[in-house]
Amino acid sequence: MNPTIKLTGVVKRFGKFTAVDGLDLEVPAGVTFGLLGPNGAGKTTTIRMIMNITKADEGEIRVLGEPMSEALQERIGYLPEERGLYRKMKVIDQILFFASIKGVDRKTAMERLERWIDSMDLRPWLQKKTEELSKGMQQKVQFLGTIVHDPPVLILDEPFSGLDPLNVVLLKDFLTEFKRQGKTVVFSTHVMEQAERLCDRIALIYRGKKLLDGTVKEIKHAYRDRVPLPPPVEPEPELEKIFIKAVEESGLSAPTAEALR
Amino acid sequence: MSAVNPKLLAVIRREYLQQVRSKAFWISTILIPTLGLGFIFLQVALSKSLIAKGKIGVVDLTGRLYQPLLAEYAARGDDDEDAAKKAEEARDEEGRRNRSLSTKIDFFKVDATAATLPDVRRKLNDDVQKERIKAYIVIPADALQKGDAEWRAQSVKSDLVMRETIASLLSRAATKERLKDQGVSPDVYDKARLKVTLDPREAKEVETPEASKNAGFNLAISGIFFFLIYISIFVYGAFIMRGVLEEKNSRIVEVIVSSVRPTHLMLGKIVGIGLVGLTQYAVWALLTLGLTLPAVVGALGLGATLPPIPTGTLVAFVVFFLLGYFLYAGLYAALAAPFNTEQEAQQFVMIPGMMLVLASTTWFFAFNSPNGMLAQVLSFIPFTSPLLMFMRISVQPPPAWQIGVSVAILLVSIWAVAWLAGRVYRVGILMYGKKPTLPEIFRWVRQAD
Repeated sequence: MNPTIKLTGVVKRFGKFTAVDGLDLEVPAGVTFGLLGPNGAGKTTTIRMIMNITKADEGEIRVLGEPMSEALQERIGYLPEERGLYRKMKVIDQILFFASIKGVDRKTAMERLERWIDSMDLRPWLQKKTEELSKGMQQKVQFLGTIVHDPPVLILDEPFSGLDPLNVVLLKDFLTEFKRQGKTVVFSTHVMEQAERLCDRIALIYRGKKLLDGTVKEIKHAYRDRVPLPPPVEPEPELEKIFIKAVEESGLSAPTAEALR
Repeated sequence: MSAVNPKLLAVIRREYLQQVRSKAFWISTILIPTLGLGFIFLQVALSKSLIAKGKIGVVDLTGRLYQPLLAEYAARGDDDEDAAKKAEEARDEEGRRNRSLSTKIDFFKVDATAATLPDVRRKLNDDVQKERIKAYIVIPADALQKGDAEWRAQSVKSDLVMRETIASLLSRAATKERLKDQGVSPDVYDKARLKVTLDPREAKEVETPEASKNAGFNLAISGIFFFLIYISIFVYGAFIMRGVLEEKNSRIVEVIVSSVRPTHLMLGKIVGIGLVGLTQYAVWALLTLGLTLPAVVGALGLGATLPPIPTGTLVAFVVFFLLGYFLYAGLYAALAAPFNTEQEAQQFVMIPGMMLVLASTTWFFAFNSPNGMLAQVLSFIPFTSPLLMFMRISVQPPPAWQIGVSVAILLVSIWAVAWLAGRVYRVGILMYGKKPTLPEIFRWVRQAD
């Protein structure tokens, strides 16, 4: 079976600076793939080249076996690192616009949205302008806009950055669900803990070059003797779980935009 | 290109609906004609305030002109029943002007001789400076031979209308006095005066009486449409600039260009806003049409309906508005894309603004001599031609080949600007943070795909 995403010898230069330097990468179908690396490693540039937003200077990029095209873009859900919404647009119009530029007609989009609107508590907000929403709500709208065309491939650039803890959980749940559905997910992060928990495979890039590539298990195995093991810890509840429990137990509903002003 | 790209359509649709649904659109749709009409009313009101008003001292050293001046002032615009019909017609225009402009001049005689003149002047100067009187005139002893008199007021620049009015009254009075010197009755002057008007017609075998009748109306239409093109390009250019910056600042642009080609996003924005402009025109056209319906005209007591706007002018207006808009719109999009704020973009956006202002200032040349050298040259230069060629067509249609060449040059320019703008736009919209320098922007243009 063809890999879902395949990069061969990809190079990108900005003037004298080489952002991506001969990168080879293979993302098999149906896996959740973590693109790791410190800030400035070339993650965003790589992702932009996969999406054909920036053109590679050298090398070849194939997604689902084809070079990137407009038709292919419709089969990818892309969440860039620099993301946002039209502030003056109604939430529902905004989501339907995202659907329309992904080639999904209004009717199909509305049917699909029905499934998610309630689970995301978005229904009361659909006719509101985006700028009236809280930041957390806007993040949900943004995410909904990313998946409204039900793409088989998701490419997310630092999807967790800036999310509030509730949305972090929501996104993790979605990613787990996508994995179950057999979708291919690629996301970049510099937070190793997220990668460790969510990814089947990871690649570590640094200064535009790939340092590590493989399943999490393989990589851990390879480094077992060279990296000291952490001291055994007594099991204790995670802060994130505590946060959610506290919110649930408060019995209060999610804050409204007015309340947040 | 077989069918229009559906994503491009989606972008156009969004842009159009967002704008048309916004309050700003309806406010500007109402405000622009209101301001326009307000401006016209202001002009009318101001021209009324031009009424020459105030006390004018008259130092008449000839001793012969003061009374005739008063007589001419009193007779201004009065229907001279005795005068022959022709003479009356000849005076008609002048009379009307005087009636509407010089109703409140209060002449008073100041006695003086050549010897006392300096003292009298000192006194009158003081009166003018202290605003006890508006101005004074000194008619020297040889005025009837030389035709020179003095006007003394606080400023040499102001009260032009009053000065001209009094000069014309004095001219008439002096002419009559000079006729007397020749032994001719001054009444002859009023009877003999004849104003000749030139009736403009095109030098063709076929008469075009209707056009010549509505000449004034047609010129007004040309002027109004000329400034509509000018203002619209300015306003919608600013819309485009703001839209591009908004997409950048809200960081939505990268989300969109992951499914829409940047050139399509730019084009969609330009077309969408262009349609908004046409919608605005359509609203105005309907309003105008509504106001000129016989029933409405009757109800409002507006009197005669307006004559129809010549089709050629209308077609030229739409064509050259669109061509001009597309040309400038590409520039505005390209000049906004590299920047993060309106302030940053402003210095570059001023370039098309200046070109527009420059083009608009030449309207009078095109209006007055549509086939003059300047008008001809400017109607071929792409950044001035949308305005100038429209003006020429509406005043006096140039040869068809000239219109064709002008349109062709515009189309090529639009293509060139769009190409250039597309390249700057594509790179610019993903650049955040530091304001790019001009060499950097040129490098984006050179960068291969």
